[in-house]
Amino acid sequence: MAARHGRTERSIQELYRDDPERADALAFGRRGALKGTALAAMGAALGGAIPFAHSMPEGTLPALFARPAAAQGTAGSGAPQVLRMEGKAPLILQGERPLVAETPEHLLDEPVTSYANHFIRNNGGVPEALSGDPRTWKIRIDGEVNTPLELTLGELEARFPVVTRQLQMECGGNGRAFFAPQTRGNQWGNGAISNAEWTGVRLRDVLQAAGLKPSAVFTGHYGADPHLSGAADRPAIARGMRLAKAMDEDTLIAFRMNGQPIPHIHGAPVRLITPGWPGSLSQKWLTRIWIRDRVHDGAGMGGTSYRIPVRPIVPGSNSNGADFAEMESMPVRSILSSHAHGTRLPAGTRSLDLRGAAWAGDLTVRAVDVSVDFGATWTTMQVAAPANRHAWQRWTGRVTLPSDGYYEIWYRATDSDGRMQPHAAANWNPQGYGANPISRAAILVG
Amino acid sequence: MRAMILVAAIAALGIGVALAQDRQDQADAARAIEGAAEEETVLPDGEGRSETFAYCTVCHNTALIRRNRLSRDQWDGLMDWMSEKHGMNPLEGEFRDTIVNYLATHFGPAQAPARGRNPFLN
Ligand code: HEC
Repeated sequence: MAARHGRTERSIQELYRDDPERADALAFGRRGALKGTALAAMGAALGGAIPFAHSMPEGTLPALFARPAAAQGTAGSGAPQVLRMEGKAPLILQGERPLVAETPEHLLDEPVTSYANHFIRNNGGVPEALSGDPRTWKIRIDGEVNTPLELTLGELEARFPVVTRQLQMECGGNGRAFFAPQTRGNQWGNGAISNAEWTGVRLRDVLQAAGLKPSAVFTGHYGADPHLSGAADRPAIARGMRLAKAMDEDTLIAFRMNGQPIPHIHGAPVRLITPGWPGSLSQKWLTRIWIRDRVHDGAGMGGTSYRIPVRPIVPGSNSNGADFAEMESMPVRSILSSHAHGTRLPAGTRSLDLRGAAWAGDLTVRAVDVSVDFGATWTTMQVAAPANRHAWQRWTGRVTLPSDGYYEIWYRATDSDGRMQPHAAANWNPQGYGANPISRAAILVG
Repeated sequence: MRAMILVAAIAALGIGVALAQDRQDQADAARAIEGAAEEETVLPDGEGRSETFAYCTVCHNTALIRRNRLSRDQWDGLMDWMSEKHGMNPLEGEFRDTIVNYLATHFGPAQAPARGRNPFLN
């Protein structure tokens, strides 16, 4: 290959790092088949022979080079940065200010996500810790209600039925790094997801106590975290949802996570949990719910924020989002938690016992399938029922490998309406919501 | 009975104090990360670096900027978004050009579009 193109200045590995599209073109050639010296070069770059090279697709970068966490980082240096914070696992640090960190998929191997492994997303600054009794924390319910309420945490807990549920919480931008061309915002892989056990009262019970006026159609949420600029009159973020979702039995005003008071970084002492919809609707450090007579217009609403095209737009084009629709139930997605991307296994390994999780917003997951031959054949996994509605579902299963070499584990979920994760991130939009393509983890046997 | 309630109350108080300490520790840990100082040299060298660093790290650090690979148009549009939605002082004239040029030069699209130019955009 090097001779044919008369360039020997870069190894294919360097080429993939610096110019993946060109590397792909060189490796696969015009006819799109990987063979001869190109195959050897690719194998050398990947670190092993490629048993299923014949079905390796053109135009799809080997997972080894294409994984978002490895692909991001500072200009010039490839390695992702790691969060160093007492009590927290070494999450992928997306940014310090605002503090944002993603959980690598292999740390999501617990059925119920622990504090250590829960991802972090802040839109503003982390507020001061409450020094007094958390039971005196107040939230206000006002707007289109008959009786505006001001309730302390103590009153919430005493006055309304307390429920405990496992609930998924997923950032609206989860999977953003899979979009091409790249969109702005946190370059999440699949790790902006959690399934903790939350205890709280139902938002609907509280809204019913306040009495909704016929004019009530939407919520608007406010928290105590300061705007990044420090301006006191500007909320860090203030999103809202249709009343139907606010009245869902799984939408909670929560005050305990995994049986403990909510950790500060996750919104202590009181936060919303709006499972299956963009995580920004799960307002942290909750202080106020304003019931609106129209679609809420707070920070993070309107335009291209948490909104997706109804009519697909050209990837990379500009749009003001005027005709986009609110992003509501999150799309189907799966993670692989038993094997970290980049795992090396002993020579002679001929089968893998795989585990992971899958979820689909307000829907459930009907199937998870895995391929180790670049999607030519698929093996059906076993998918467990969710612990309760809006909890994620765990999956397990076994795949066999014909020889030593380089493999990619491709994993794909199908929701209860029959919609599968697509081969490539679809419905490109400027702020990068809803990318849920089939995921790929690279492993090397031998 | 009363002794038991008292013991329980003291225990609860003890837990309360411990939790308050946890909250404080967690807040301090998070704020230490947020407050970590950055040097201008975290950005690639080039014309406009000082201006960009000074103007763009008032609210957030450069991680937010460095992870993006955007076209000049997209960077330009983002300047308006930051003013309209987040209260950034509007950037205008030559100063705006300096910053947008710097961003487009050093944080432009990472890859050539697959299979050449995009027929719908160029
Ligand atoms: C007045 C405060 C302020 C200033 C000054 C500011 N920004 Fe921002 N910027 C924000 C806020 C707030 C966000 C949203 C953060 C979030 O939600 O994570 C943001 C987000 C961003 C994002 C991510 C966009 C996205 O969709 O997530 C980029 C990139 C960015 N800023 C670049 C810049 C650049 C470049 C400058 C200098 C020209 C700048 N910012 C100056 C407040 C500011």
